This record gives sequence, structure tokens and C-alpha cells, in this order.
Amino acid sequence: MTDTATRRSSTPQTPQTPQGKLAKWADDRLNLAGPMRKQLNKVFPDHWSFMMGEIALYSFIILLLTGTYLTFFFDPSMAETVYHGRYVPLQGVSMSRAYASTLNITFDVRGGLIVRQIHHWSALLFLAAMLLHMFRVFFTGAFRKPRELNWMIGLGLIGLGIIEGFAGYSLPDDLLSGTGLRIADAIMLSIPVIGTWTSFLIFGGPFPGDVIIGRFYIAHVLLIPAILAALIGAHLALLVRQKHTEFPAPGRNEHTVTGERIFPTYAAKAGGFFFIVFAVTAALGGLAQINPVWLFGPYNPAQVSSGSQPDWYMMFLDGSTRLFPSWEIRLWGYTIPPLFWPTVVLPGILFTLAGAYPFIEARMTNDTKAHNLLQRPRDVPVRTGLGAMAITFYLVLFLSGGNDLIAKAFNISLNAMTWGGRILLITLPPLVYLTTYRVCLGLQRHDREVLEHGVETGIIMTLQTGEFIEVHQPLGPVDEHGHGTLSYAGTPVPKRMSQLGASSPLRHIRGFFYPVAEKPEIQAAIDEIEAAEAEQPDTHQLTD
Amino acid sequence: MSTTHPTTDAPSADDLREMTPEEAMLAGAEADDVHIVHRRDRFPIRGTRAEKRAERAVAASFTVSALAGIGFIVAFIAMPYQWHLPGTPQDFRFYTPALGGLLAIMLMFMGVGLVLWAKWLMPEEEVIQHRHDEPSTEEDRLMTQATLAVGLEDTGLPRRSMILRSLGLAGGALATVPLVALVGAMIKKPGKQLEQTLFAPNPALFPPHGYVPIVYSDWRRVSPDDMLPGGIATVFPGVRETGPDGTNGLTSASSPTLIIRLKPGQTIKARKGQAGFGWPSDAPEFVAFSKICTHAGCPASLYEQQSTRLLCPCHQSQFEVLEDAKPVFGPATRSLPKLPLDVEIGSDGRQYFIAKADFNEPIGPGYWERP
Amino acid sequence: MKEDFDVDGELGFEPTVSATGSDPGTAKASKPGRRRSLRRRLGATAVLIAALGSMGGAYAAFATTSGASDTTANSQDVSAGKQLFETSCITCHGANLQGVPGRGAPLIGVGSAAVYFQVSTGRMPLVRQGPEALRKPAQFTETQIQQLAAYVESVGGGPTLPTGNLMDSNIAEGGSLFRLNCAQCHGVTFKGAPLSAGKAAPGLGDATAKQIYAAMLTGPESMPLFSDNQLTPTEKKQIISYIQTMKASKDPGGAGIDRIGPVSEALVVWVGGVGALMIIILWIGVKSQ
Repeated sequence: MTDTATRRSSTPQTPQTPQGKLAKWADDRLNLAGPMRKQLNKVFPDHWSFMMGEIALYSFIILLLTGTYLTFFFDPSMAETVYHGRYVPLQGVSMSRAYASTLNITFDVRGGLIVRQIHHWSALLFLAAMLLHMFRVFFTGAFRKPRELNWMIGLGLIGLGIIEGFAGYSLPDDLLSGTGLRIADAIMLSIPVIGTWTSFLIFGGPFPGDVIIGRFYIAHVLLIPAILAALIGAHLALLVRQKHTEFPAPGRNEHTVTGERIFPTYAAKAGGFFFIVFAVTAALGGLAQINPVWLFGPYNPAQVSSGSQPDWYMMFLDGSTRLFPSWEIRLWGYTIPPLFWPTVVLPGILFTLAGAYPFIEARMTNDTKAHNLLQRPRDVPVRTGLGAMAITFYLVLFLSGGNDLIAKAFNISLNAMTWGGRILLITLPPLVYLTTYRVCLGLQRHDREVLEHGVETGIIMTLQTGEFIEVHQPLGPVDEHGHGTLSYAGTPVPKRMSQLGASSPLRHIRGFFYPVAEKPEIQAAIDEIEAAEAEQPDTHQLTD
Repeated sequence: MSTTHPTTDAPSADDLREMTPEEAMLAGAEADDVHIVHRRDRFPIRGTRAEKRAERAVAASFTVSALAGIGFIVAFIAMPYQWHLPGTPQDFRFYTPALGGLLAIMLMFMGVGLVLWAKWLMPEEEVIQHRHDEPSTEEDRLMTQATLAVGLEDTGLPRRSMILRSLGLAGGALATVPLVALVGAMIKKPGKQLEQTLFAPNPALFPPHGYVPIVYSDWRRVSPDDMLPGGIATVFPGVRETGPDGTNGLTSASSPTLIIRLKPGQTIKARKGQAGFGWPSDAPEFVAFSKICTHAGCPASLYEQQSTRLLCPCHQSQFEVLEDAKPVFGPATRSLPKLPLDVEIGSDGRQYFIAKADFNEPIGPGYWERP
Repeated sequence: MKEDFDVDGELGFEPTVSATGSDPGTAKASKPGRRRSLRRRLGATAVLIAALGSMGGAYAAFATTSGASDTTANSQDVSAGKQLFETSCITCHGANLQGVPGRGAPLIGVGSAAVYFQVSTGRMPLVRQGPEALRKPAQFTETQIQQLAAYVESVGGGPTLPTGNLMDSNIAEGGSLFRLNCAQCHGVTFKGAPLSAGKAAPGLGDATAKQIYAAMLTGPESMPLFSDNQLTPTEKKQIISYIQTMKASKDPGGAGIDRIGPVSEALVVWVGGVGALMIIILWIGVKSQ
């Protein structure tokens, strides 16, 4: 028996231990005993696919930590200076203070480069994790009522994350990000009616002016992180309030949530995972070079390098810009340049469609009920097909953003890459939709077929009539025709014999490299306890 | 916070004092409507070899983490990190990987230790909690609705239209004033700045005609003898004085211009109104175009001297130089503006290029009010 | 050289033997028994010398171009080069270097620098026609390349490579010049770029200093030409120093992953970062029982 099962609890009114005294001091003032216990006892489901949002959260924390370090060294000034640091190939070159301070962090600050690299890799990981999390939420239907608001907050986080990343990698004022800044200016100019005023407002005059890096800096270290933190807080608060969704399983229903309590198990796992995510970003930051701005040189509007791309989360916009045809609208003396549609209208449509999707789907399926149980993607083939179609569309744009590098690597004509991208963008998504839809239906049919006819055992028998049959193991009670009577409940159906049955003598074997042999009398006691547990009725079903 | 609905009556303080801590914990969970339906110590018997192995694994994990942290500190201080030219020792290239690797080991084993602790040593539980996500009770809704309604009635707003309207005005002002203060300070009138470059004739700086000399990036003047047929150079207006926006001929973003020397046999088919812009004007061998792509502003500068194509690397617009830089592929819709070239004799007797006039259209990407 | 000038007009008298070496059909046979006067023989020699001299001078006047002359060329190189040319190059470039339409460009005036570039990078001899001649292992040794280059130079003239060191100490200036003139096609990380319709600007990873210099001077294929007035020899050497230094320098931030930036970074973060984390997630999330 455990210690707590035998020892009497000490009384909290007259604490003897230091921690007891501290607890009483706090509780006398804050009255936390009840609410705190409530939070400690909260239940979190522990499916692996629920951890991707955590990656995003932890990446955000890592960004805050490494970013604060960088602010101690970075100078967001566009004033001209001449470089006299350690890096010889740029000695004597005229550049902005922002670029010079970035070189300083890289070459002259001890350990500065790894923090810079961890910061940038975390940013890439932050957005990748948000996207993965969004896919999981989408394909399992976690965005349905009552969580539509959280879905929209999540989209806001992604949009803000993209802008934050763009502002961040533009701060060093190098040739690559400066080229991106030039394109951003052109995008602003392309907006009808207010375009030139927007551009001149943001840049403080004609491009590039001398205020933009300073303004991006404040946006990047103060304004957007504050909004991000607030939105993440709201996102998590809603999650805590509405509790996490979970997959259907025996003993689960719409009104309960099953899993582990926060304290101590879930907190240990979550805290451990934070360190693991940090470890992955640290490994990336040390082992893989990222954004080597010293190779690009300082930004100069007369210079450009081939193979210029934005960071991956903006590359779909670069792709849409490369693929969009040369269609310019000219009406009554006013121009709408071709850049407007792929860079302003397209992301606007994508984010609006995505944000409205929960409501669109609810309307299309006539579903106004609240849902706390998730759906397997195969059970909602239209949604899964639409999601696959959207991902295909995104991927074609994303790959087209790097189409010059692909052309060079595989000796394909650049013109062919552009035309190929245009054609694939239109033709591939519908094909993917149809294929995904059929695949989902096929999987659904197979689930029901196994429920009806049982699991294939692989044992072939010959009947007396000479017919060969395969023996099937039923999953549950069968009717008079031998067909299974279990109906599909939204949970994964076992398809192989090895997936049937939880008990296996193997679980008694402990030890990774070799089995751990307990002393015989201890092993006997363990066997006795486990036998007693196996006899207990299954208490997983709530009686009430 | 929603009220709890305990399924059993919470035990009294006396009962709780009599319970073991485990029982009290379960009672607390029940009071929070959390039902621990399965709770099992991983090692019900203390001191087994399996338990010791698990403990040692977790402890080893934390120990490795600590050692890696010490390693990080040693490496941070002791390893060389200064960059050197090739040909001299390049061992700085191990500094960042060493730091990253040790940091990663430290963090990874910290995290792995915590996860293993939870998975192998902490009791396994299966816990069920009521969501209590039912809509608010009818009673709550009615009472809250009444509270809001009466509160609104207390303010008298629905019937005090004078207050309502004036409040609306004040609210509008409150919202608009900061916006005006901020945006009004940041606004800059575009005016005609997008329509002209520093190539525009400047009689004050270059008497008497004001034709701007064309220079390289080191202010050296450009001469027709400098380039071979099939050559291309990036040139700028030779205006050293900084303008009102703080830029001069070299630093202004609208300045970069390409001069191309055509090869024998390559003849320009000029656009309307740009016939005499090359040099010599009757049979142009030298042509000058704005380097700033008319699509999104990147320098469109990949010149294929044999096919006379000018490719922009950003979005692969292609311009045909022999058709006055007309876009023939990709998203660009407008030809690159052409600079009218001429030459003058310098003080050393050599010929040097000048700009006869500014570009006859705005350079760079399009915008709404582009003329 | 064509020998079609007016023999009679040049010499001023009727030759006993025509300048082409064959018996002239119209030459009058010397009068039997008549002896030539010494003055006439001397005059003939003088005029012959004058003729040869003016021929040589005309040749020199038309054949010289800018650039320091390659002092290592000699007639042995030229003749060896001619032999190499006739075995390897003549099919596409013609017996007189005039080019063959649809197969090979004329080589008159391209210069030894161009030949050095094309042959030492293995682009020539061309394996097949296409939008781009790709670098491949050189088919000729350095000596043979020198000889070919000398031969082509001797036939049509053209730019030549300077001798001596092709590097300069001012790497930073070279970097600025590279970014302004070269980076748009070859990339700041020297990976090259695709051009329109299947052509490409090659990466500079394998390029030697001489090859880079030759390319800047002669503008191979789609590359523009940079005369020594536009980019002075010193500036060219600075660019070369920058390129070679950057190629040889190690990445301070770990594995360079090709140095090209966001595309390879995307690959690493999705495959490496997300991949590793997904494996770890599956491990954490799997129930221990």
C-alpha cells in the first residue's frame, strides 16, 4: 500500500511543516483551496494527436525567451554605418545599423548565433505546428459547436503568426528579406484606391524610407506578441472552460471527458514535452544553419539574388504570385495591377472561407447540436475530401513558390514549371477530392464489413464440398445468419487478430534489453494482485 | 464558473480528518465531479527490481541532462568561436553545433525524464469528469435576462434619446480621435513622387540644360566605350545631393537602371513614342531600361545576351529587350520604362552618357492612379 | 590567307614565276640567252620584302584586340592546336572557324579566353544540342587547352586571359560588385539559376579563378560580356577572390543545408523537426499498457 494510504493526514489548521505554513499563509489571503483543487483535478484526454497544439504553444514560449535575448543586442536603426566587425568579407561595406547589429550577434557575441538560429527555427516550427493542429481539428470535426469561436481565434493566430514571422525576418535588413519588403510594398501599392496612401503611410514615404525597420521592430517585439499572447490566452481559456474534445470509445459519451488528471501525471508529461520541443529547436538551432544573412549582404534596391523566396509559411503567396497570369484591369484611367489578386484577394478568400467553414458546414449538414466527441475522418467523407482538396491547392502553391529551385535542380524549363503549376492548380484539387471521397467510402464499407463478418484470421479451411473458406473471428454477438450485430460506433474497428484482446502475458515482462526477474516471493505477490484486478468488474462505465 | 453538481454529498471535516490521504484525495475529486474509476500503483510492491530499474532510468535521464548542461557551459566558455578566413583554422564551425547539441541533450533528457517519470512511476489512472456543458439553466437565463433588462432600464437609455445620441457622438469621437492622431501623423501624401525619378533634368545641378549624367555605383561616369556588345551594366543618375526623402542618385530605390549594348544584328523595335530613346538615336546600339520590375519591384536583371530576354528572378516575368522590354511571359503586364539616352563630350574628350529626360512613365509596380 | 592580290600590280614587272608558285600561263618566257641585271634582282627582292612586310602589317593591324597578350603562345602551340581543332572541333565550327549553321557558332574573334572557358569546363566538345551546354569533365588536358586556345586566337584574335595571380585582397569590394552584377543569375550562394525556356546560369561551385575571369570577359552563351573598362581587371580579380573565399569558408551555424535559404529550411523543419516531434508524440501518447 502507498504511504498516503496508511498515514493519517495532518490537519491544515495548525500546519507543522514549512510547506503547510506557506499554504496556510496563501490561503488565508487568496482563498484558493477549493478552486485550486478543482483545477488540479481537471481531466485531460491523452490521445497523441492532441499534442500538436502544444508544440505551437511551447514554440511560442521559446520564441519569447530567445527573442528577449536578441533584443538586448539588436539595433533596429536604418542609419548608415560602415562594418568593422570580425567578418572579413563585409569589412568596410556600408550597411544599416540593423544589419550590422545582426552581424554582431552572429560573429561577435559569444553564443549569439545559436540563439538567433533557435529563434528562427522556433518560428518555422511555430507555424508548422499551428498548421498541423489546424488539420487535426479540421479532420476530426473539433471545430463544430460550441468551439467555432476557438477555431476562428486559431485562424487569427495563424494569420498573425505569418505577419509576425515576416516582420521578424525582415528586421536584419539583408538582401533576401529586403527583396521581400520591396514586394510587400508593391502589394500595398496594388490595393485599389488606398494603395499608394497605404504604402506611403507604412514606409513613411517612398520605398524604402528610413523608418520601416524601426516600425517592424515595435510590431514584432511588442504589438503582435501582445495580441498573440492575448489570443493564445483566450484560446486556452476557452479550451479549459469547454474542456477538450475526445474520440469516441467504449464508456465515453458526449457529456464526459476521460483521461488523466492534470496533477501530477498530465503536468509531468506536458512539462516534459515542453523540454522535448525545446530540445528539438535547440538541436535544429545548433546543427542546421538558417537564414545566413552574412552571405546575402545588406539590402540594396539595385541588387537581387536568384532563388529568392520568403520563409515557408509565406511561400504559398509567392507561388500564387508566380502562377497568376498577366491580367491587369484598367478602368476609366485607374489600374488594378495583377499583383492584387494573388497576394491580397486570395489570402483574404482563404482565411474567410476557413473562418466561416464551421458555420457553412453546420448549415449544409443541418447540424445545430453541440459536439464533444470527435469523428474519424473516414466517417465524414465530404469534409475530408474538401480538406484534402484545400491541402492540395495549398501544396501546389507552396511548391510553385520554389519553382525556380526545382527547375534548376531537375533541369526543367522554367516556363514549363509555371505552366505546369497553373494547370495542376486547377486540375489536381478536384481529382484529389474525388479520390479522397472514394477512399473514405471504401474505408467505411470495410469497417462495416468487418463488423458484420468478423476479423480475417488467415486460417483457410476446406469444406467437404471442396470449397475453401477463410475462418473469421466475430467481434461480438452474431444473429442466426452468422452476421455480427454490433453497429458502428465511431471507434476504430479491429481489423487484425493481433488487435483483439488486451490481455497478453507479455505485459508482465518488464525490462527493455532483458527481462527483469523479480525474487520469486515478490513475483508471486505481484501475480496475486494482478489476478485480483482482472476479476474486478469493469468500472469504466459511469453509472450516473 | 459553473457550479459543481457533486454526485455524492461531500464528507464533513471530521470525516475527512479520519480518512487516509488517499481517501481524502478521492473525496476531493468526487467533490469536483471527477470520478477516478481506475487507479493503480505501477509497483504495488515496493522495492522490486523493476521499480528500481524504472527509478534508475529516470534518475539517469536527469543526470545526463545535468552533465550536458555542464558540458554546455564548458563549451560555451572554452571553445573557439571567432570566424576566420579560409586557409586559417576553421574550427569555429564546431562552436554552434556543439552548443546546440549539448543544449539539446540537456533539454531532451530533462523532458524524457519527466515523461518517463509519469509513464513508469506515477500511478496509472483512468478518470472521468462531467463536462457540465449543458446550457445555462432556465432559471439562470431568466434571472440574468431580467438583470440585464432592468439594468438597462435603470440607465434610462431606451427612453433618454438625448443622452443616447450624445453618447453615440462622444463614443464616435473617442474612437476616432486616437486613430486620427496616429494615422494623421503617419500619413504622407504620395503626390507625384511615384511618377518621377532623379533622372529628371535638373538645371540647378547640371547647367545649362540640366541633363543628368549617368554613373556607375562608384560615381564613375558611363562611357559607350566601356561596354562590349552583349554587355549590360547597372547605372544610376549622377545626383550626389540628397533629396527631400534623404536619398541621392545611388540610394534612391527608383534609380537603378540597366544599360544594354546590343550585338550587331540585334535591332530594337521601339514602342510608340520611344523611338529615339536609344543611342545613337537612328540605329540604337545602346538602350536603357528601368531595372525595377513593373510587376513587384524586384530588379529585373537576368539578361540573356543571345536571346535578348530579361528575366526577373522573383516571379519569372520575362521581358523582350528588342521589343522595348515588353513582357512576354510571367505575371508582368507592363514594359519596363525606357530612359532616353544621349551622349555628351566630357572634359577629357571622351563621350559620356546623359539622360535626355526622365522616364516617360512611372517606374516600378503598378498602382491605382497610375497615369 | 587568300592569295588573290594583284601580283603584277604589286611587283611592277612581269614575274618569271607567278606568286602562286605555278608556271603562269601568261608569263612570257625569258628571252633566250638574256641575263637578268643585278638591279632588277635587287629591286625584285626589295619589293618582295615590302610586300611581305605590308601583308604582315595588315595582318597585325586587323588581328590585335584589347587585353594583355598571352605570352606563352608560340607557333608550336598553334600548330598543335590546329591539329586538335581539326580532329575535335571542325565538324561543328568549320575548317576556317566560320561556324556551321545549326551546329556551331563562328569562332572568329572569340579569343583564347573563350576557348579556355568552354573547353576547360568541358562544355566543348558539345555532346548534343540543347538550350544549355552543361559543364562536364574536360576532354583535354591543360596543355591541350592552351594549344587549342592559341590556335583559335591566332586565327581570329579576341580577348585573352591575363597571366599571373587572379586574386585580389579586397574581398569585401568583390562581394559588393558580385551582388550588383552577378548575384541575380548566379545567386548569392553561387547555386546558379534557371533562365527562360530551359536555359540556366550555372552554379559556381566547380569554377576556377581562370574560368571565372574568362567567363566575365567573353560572356559564354547567355552570359553578358563585361569588358575591362566596365569591370577593370582589378575589379574582376576582386570578384574572383570573393567567390573563391566564400566557397572555401565554412558555415559557422552548423550544416549549411546548401545555403540557399527558405526552401531547404522548409524541408528541414517539416521532415526533421516535425518528423522527430511526431515520433516523440506517438511515444508519449501511447498508453503504457
